[in-house]
Amino acid sequence: MAENTTAVSREEELKKLSTMSKIRSFLPLAGLIAVFIIFNVLTGGRMIKNMSLVMSQIYVTLIAATGVFFIMTMGGLDFSQGSIMGIASIVVCLVSKVNVPLAIVAGIAAGAGIGVINGFFYVNRKIKSFIVTICTMFLFRGIIKYLTSNAPIAGSAKLIMLNNDTLKLVCTLIVLVAGFIAFRFTKFGMHLRAIGAGEKAAKFAGIRTDRMKFLIYVLAGAITGFAAFINVIKVGSVTSSGGNQLETQILIALVLGGMPISGGAKAKFQNVVIGSLLYIVLSSGLTMLGLTTQTMQLIQGVVFLIFVAVFADRQSLQVIK
Amino acid sequence: MSEVRLQVQNLCKTFGITKAVQNVSFNINKGEVHALIGENGSGKSTLTNMLTGIYTIDSGHFILDGKEVHPKNQVEANDQGISIIVQELGTLSGLTVAENIFLGHEDRFVKFGIKNTGAMNRQAQELLNKYGFNRIRANAMVDDYNFEDRKLVEIVKATYFQPKIVVIDETTTALSQEGREELYKHMNRIRSEGNTVIFISHDLPEILRMSDTITILRDGVYIDTVKSADVNEDDLKRLMVGREVTGDYYRADYGEAVSDEVVMSVKNVTVPGLIKDINFELHKGEILGFGGLSESGMHEIGKACFGASFDRQGSVTLADGTQINDIPTAIAHSIAYTSKDRDNESVVMNQGIGDNICLPSLNTLKGAAGLLSDRKMRDFANKYAKEMSVKMVNTDQFVSDLSGGNKQKVVLARWIGKDSDILVLDSPTRGIDIKVKQDIYQLMDRMRKSGKSIIMISEELMELIGMCDRILIMKDGSINGELTRDPGLNENSLIAKMV
Repeated sequence: MAENTTAVSREEELKKLSTMSKIRSFLPLAGLIAVFIIFNVLTGGRMIKNMSLVMSQIYVTLIAATGVFFIMTMGGLDFSQGSIMGIASIVVCLVSKVNVPLAIVAGIAAGAGIGVINGFFYVNRKIKSFIVTICTMFLFRGIIKYLTSNAPIAGSAKLIMLNNDTLKLVCTLIVLVAGFIAFRFTKFGMHLRAIGAGEKAAKFAGIRTDRMKFLIYVLAGAITGFAAFINVIKVGSVTSSGGNQLETQILIALVLGGMPISGGAKAKFQNVVIGSLLYIVLSSGLTMLGLTTQTMQLIQGVVFLIFVAVFADRQSLQVIK
Repeated sequence: MSEVRLQVQNLCKTFGITKAVQNVSFNINKGEVHALIGENGSGKSTLTNMLTGIYTIDSGHFILDGKEVHPKNQVEANDQGISIIVQELGTLSGLTVAENIFLGHEDRFVKFGIKNTGAMNRQAQELLNKYGFNRIRANAMVDDYNFEDRKLVEIVKATYFQPKIVVIDETTTALSQEGREELYKHMNRIRSEGNTVIFISHDLPEILRMSDTITILRDGVYIDTVKSADVNEDDLKRLMVGREVTGDYYRADYGEAVSDEVVMSVKNVTVPGLIKDINFELHKGEILGFGGLSESGMHEIGKACFGASFDRQGSVTLADGTQINDIPTAIAHSIAYTSKDRDNESVVMNQGIGDNICLPSLNTLKGAAGLLSDRKMRDFANKYAKEMSVKMVNTDQFVSDLSGGNKQKVVLARWIGKDSDILVLDSPTRGIDIKVKQDIYQLMDRMRKSGKSIIMISEELMELIGMCDRILIMKDGSINGELTRDPGLNENSLIAKMV
């Protein structure tokens, strides 16, 4: 008798917990809709009218966030994304004067190259990922500043002529769909989540964890290298601040989308899409209301803190790798 | 009649809506070793954690020597004469041995706001010497000592001030035979001084040997208190489980011939600092046991066979000539491994039961276009979770929610699903209650009969004797003896080779 009652109440408790986590997983989407409506009311519908302008800012974030999403699922972080974006954009601009398709490949290669450096120090030298990537962030930001010290580096005219929403949208969709399938329906995604949820156990279940961790940093670099191409056709040239703070934007976007900071099995691919949309709506909404950059950063900071406080999974929170 | 030391009165504790302890009342006497037994989740540790101030009391009272005690933390509990030795590491890394011993009681060495480290070390060393642990230095960092020695430091920490009650919570599962004997000695000393030991253990023979009185809990409810002299193991099992435990506990056969077919041969395997020059062969359908002290290197044998050892020399070769040098190769060639460190090395804690079971078998769970099929994965996970009778809500439930026994079932379900032919089981029943233990023994017996080979590494000598066709005893990193299955084997014949 007693045995049954405790078993039943335990089950009820678990069901309650899983309902709670279900509600939590809908919060970002609800937040997106709420924020979208609020800003449309506040701006008198100006946001809807300018939707294509709003959307034009999201492509780069969305593509780059896909790679970072993989890294964070695994339990790592990448602060060098902005610098990867800057370097890869410079490479795309320079090579575009020779050949545009080659420029795309070169951008990807440049991003992957920085990913190799991150991965090497993280995996082979066993340094925490956020330390490694903060170092490479400063290192490559320095190189960007050096290369652009005389004048911004501009892409070739042929490259900039490609600037149209359809191309950018198609490229973004390709990356997202490929990322989603790989994450959700292949061994790759399963292994990523397992590493995030318990690296040592994942290793003992037969996953080559070190190889995987290295490759993910290379992949994330390559994806951002590809995003650099989209970035360049939009902005045309790279200044010393090219790609600056992309890493923070991505991090905020993913966390807004409900991504658990410690990664693991609770990471969902929808975090990338909802989070990026929420971030863009929030930041362009604030701009449309005429807020200064300083105020916007303040508000972003507050919103970020609130979301981290709500979504941090304290039970499974370990040290970020 | 002996005097009552502690009265437990109408004690209750709930976690959320789970009733962990329900209206429990009983008495504990002076000068006795009082065992608390019950299956996992029966409320033993919850009860003692309330007594030692780790958990708060929902309702009810502890009356110690006629006075109600209600400690808010462990230091307060110590001041009232109650201390505890816990299952896992209870010493703090980064502090010295002396600082650990006097943790929370540093005030006695403080004058004018300055701590007299010299006096503290001197007194700690005197205590260590008095206990016979002269080789442990009071001023050394506690990190310099291994698990066993740190447990000895804990014994000193918990008993030097002559507490009225010492709680020993499943400490022995983590200790080798040698460490256990040391602990038993101090339990007897505490009793002879007229004080009380509350002893929690899953090991029933140990309970019967060491305790005077036994209180049984089941699902948070008080069942009975009995004199150890009046009961046997089967009585206790029946009281714990609430029904007759039927069938044989271990396998019953003797004298069955083991096949000559060698499935794995280990040659000259050395892992620096852990094992040296290990050679043995594993036969088809054999259960090969490894026993020894926990520092004997036997746990490394399992890792070495699974390709998981760091810097291993020598060779592990399968019947078809495959060399096992890394984990993915081992798994691909049908080797399974369950670690002693279950939470870190066996189950992926923050992941669902289903994903945990499917992880090594993903290649067989693909649907159309080579993509993983959710339906196949769910069916696969359900099938093997059911086969192992994992207690769960559904396969999405996180492994971190499960009890130790259920976690082990998830790990075993994973490898049964992979249809592994060679199973390397390191401490498969560590910290697991009787019912699940019996399930695991029966599973091993079935697997053996179906031609699978098992390496069983264990610190529990009785299960080695009960389950294995052959037992290799490890000492100081080498194999120190071999024993074959025989009804005449007893613990002493193993211990003789271990020390």
